[in-house]
Amino acid sequence: MSELAGRLLPLVVAAPLAVAAIMLATAHLLPPKVPDVIAIATAAAVAGLCGWLAVVASGIGPAGQWFGGWTPVGGIRLGILFVGDPASATMAGLCAVVVALSTLFAWGFFDEVHAHFHVLMLLFLAAMVGFCLTQDLFNLFVWFELMSVAAYALTAYKLAASSLEGALNFTVVNSFASIAMLAGVGLLYARAGQLDMTAMGQALARDGRDPLVAGGFCLVATALLTKAAVVPFQAWLADAHGVAPSPVSVVFSAVMVPLGLFGLAKLDWLVFAHCEIVQSILRDLLLPLGCATAVTGGLMAWLQRHLKRLLGFSTVAHMGVVLIGLTSRETVGAAGFLAYATGHAMVKGALFMVAGVLLSLRSSNDELVLRGKGAGLGPTGWLMAAAGLLLAGAPLGVMHAGDSLVGHAGEIVLPVWAEAAIVLGGALTGGAVLRAAGRIFLGLGAAPGLEVESPTEPEREKATRPLWLMLLPCALLLLADFWPASWAEHASLAAAVASGRLPAAVSPPELPPLISGLVSTVLALSFAAVALGRARWPRWLRRGGEAAAAMVRPLRDLHSGLVGDYLSWTAVGMAALVVAALLA
Amino acid sequence: MSALPMNALPWAVCAWLFAIGLYGASTSRNYLHLIGCLSACQSSTYVLLLAIGYRRGGAAPVFHDHPPGTPVVDPVMQALALTDIVVGAAVTALLLAMAIQVFKRRGAIDPQRLRPMQPPK
Repeated sequence: MSELAGRLLPLVVAAPLAVAAIMLATAHLLPPKVPDVIAIATAAAVAGLCGWLAVVASGIGPAGQWFGGWTPVGGIRLGILFVGDPASATMAGLCAVVVALSTLFAWGFFDEVHAHFHVLMLLFLAAMVGFCLTQDLFNLFVWFELMSVAAYALTAYKLAASSLEGALNFTVVNSFASIAMLAGVGLLYARAGQLDMTAMGQALARDGRDPLVAGGFCLVATALLTKAAVVPFQAWLADAHGVAPSPVSVVFSAVMVPLGLFGLAKLDWLVFAHCEIVQSILRDLLLPLGCATAVTGGLMAWLQRHLKRLLGFSTVAHMGVVLIGLTSRETVGAAGFLAYATGHAMVKGALFMVAGVLLSLRSSNDELVLRGKGAGLGPTGWLMAAAGLLLAGAPLGVMHAGDSLVGHAGEIVLPVWAEAAIVLGGALTGGAVLRAAGRIFLGLGAAPGLEVESPTEPEREKATRPLWLMLLPCALLLLADFWPASWAEHASLAAAVASGRLPAAVSPPELPPLISGLVSTVLALSFAAVALGRARWPRWLRRGGEAAAAMVRPLRDLHSGLVGDYLSWTAVGMAALVVAALLA
Repeated sequence: MSALPMNALPWAVCAWLFAIGLYGASTSRNYLHLIGCLSACQSSTYVLLLAIGYRRGGAAPVFHDHPPGTPVVDPVMQALALTDIVVGAAVTALLLAMAIQVFKRRGAIDPQRLRPMQPPK
C-alpha cells in the first residue's frame, strides 16, 4: 500500500501540469464549457488522491518518492524527495478542493480566450501541491516561484487599468520576496552542503548559533511572510485581492496566502528545529508580529467599504492568528495552525464567492452602493451572515477548533495580550462582514449621502451562470467547516505529531472550552449593530466614534497603493528580522 | 561540505547589488526603471550562488575531457543559478508586458502619478 502510494505521489503534480499543457495546445478545438469540465475533473481527482494519501499516511506512515530514482547513496541526498505526510497531503488536498470549487463557481465565466484561465488555474494548483509535498529546499523555491507567476497572470487577467496596477504591485513585491528566498536558500546551502530538508536539519543542528544560518532564515522568512501577508509585509494583499476576478480571489485567500505560513512551519519543523537563534526569533518577534497582524488586519477590514478589499484585510487578520499558532513549538500550536488554516480556507472561500455573486448579479462590490440591493438573491444573505459569525469566532466547526487549539498553544494558555489580539481581530473582521451583510441584505443603516457617488471604476463580472450554480460551491465550502470541532481537534493533533516530528502531547489535551470565541462573536455582533444604528447614536458616542476613526486614519494612509512604499516596508520587516536575530 | 571562499569581493558585490536594487526599486518614478532595479537585485543572487559554489583551482563541472575526481566548482550552485536566470527572465517579461498594458490604458508609467487603487484625478 505504501509503495503504491509512493508511486502515485508524483501524479498529483504531474496530472494538472500535463492536462494544462494538453489543454493549451488543443484549446482552439475544444467546444465551450469543455475546459471547465476538464479542469474541475482534474482538480477533483487531485483532491481525491491527496485525501487518500493523507489517509494512508495516517494509517501506515507517509509515502515518499525520490524523483528519477536518485535515492540517497551513502548518506548523501542529491535527489528530490516528495513526502505525503498527513499535514502536507491534507494541505495539498485542500488546495485541490478549493481550486475545483472555484472553477465550478466560475462556470462559463472565462469562455472567451483559449481556456487560458483553466490552464493557469491548473498550473497554479500543480505549484501549490508541489509546494506542500516537496522536501527539497530549492524545489520548494521553484514551486513558490511557479505559484507566484501563475498568480500574477491570474490577477491581471481582466487587463483593465486597475487590475493591471494591482497586479503590478503584487508582482513587484512578491518578486522581491522570491529574490530574498533564493539568496536565503543559497546561504543555507553554503552551511549545510545539501538541499534536502531533513539532511539540512541534521547538518544545521551542529551549531545552533551560527550567524550564517540565522541570516539565511531571515531571508527565507522574508519571502514566506510576504506571501502570507504578515505585518509589515501585508500591503500588497488587499490590492491584489481587490482587483483579481473573484474566483481567483477565492483561491488566493483560501490557500495561497496560508501556504506561505505552511512553508514556514515546515522549515521550522524540519530544518530549524535545533537552531536556537531561529527559535528565539519565532518566539520573540513573530508572536508579537502575529498579534499586530491580527489587530491591523481587523482595523483595516473594518474601514473598508469595498467588499473584496474588506475580505482581503480580513485574511490578513486571520493570518496573524495562524502565525500565533505557528510560533509555538508545542504540538498543540501546530495542530491549531493546521485546523485554523483549513477552517479559514473554507469560510473565506465562501465569502469571496458571495462577493462574486454580488459583482455579477448586482454589478457592484461597494457596501454603500449595494445597500438594500441584496433582495432576490435567495440564501446568499444567510450564507454571508453565517460566514461572518464563523469568522468572528463563533464556537462551531473546524475554524473554532483551530482557534481553541491556538489559544492553548503556550505552556498553559497564550499570554493575555495575544489572546486579546485574537479576540479583537476576529471581532473586527467578523463585525465588518456582518455589518456589510446587514446593510446589503437587510437594507439597515442610514441611507448613504454624497459618499455613495464613489469615484472608483465601475466594476462588474459577467452573469454567465444561474444563481444556484454560484451558491452551490459556496454552500459546500461553508458546510465543510461544520465538521465537529472535537473531531477536527483530534485529526489535526494527529497530523501535527506525524508530520512535524513533534513530541506527542503528554496527555491527550482535554481542552477546556475557550470563552474567547463567544466573547468575540458577541463583540462582532455589537460592532455591527453599533455601526448600522449610527444615525440613532447619542451625540457623545458619535463624537467618540469620529475621534476613534481619526486615530486609525494614519493606518489607512500607510496603505498608499504605491509600490515603492510597499518595498520600503518589506525592507523594514527584513531589518526587524535581522535585529531580532542579533539580539537573540 | 563547502567552505566559504577567502575573498570577500563577491560578497561585497552581492550586498551592493542587492542594496542598490532595493533602493532603486523603492524610490523609482518609472515602472521600466523599477523593473530594471529589480533585475539588478536579482543579479545579486547570481553572484551569491556562484560565489558559494566557487572552489579555488576548480574546473568547470564537466567530466567530458578530464577524469572524474578532478576538483571542480560545485555544480549544484550552477544549476540553481541557471534555473534562477530562467525564472527571472520570465518574471521580467511578464512585468514589462504589464507595464506596457498600463501605459496603453493610462498613458503613464510613473507609480506616483498612477496612484494605483486611488480614484483617477
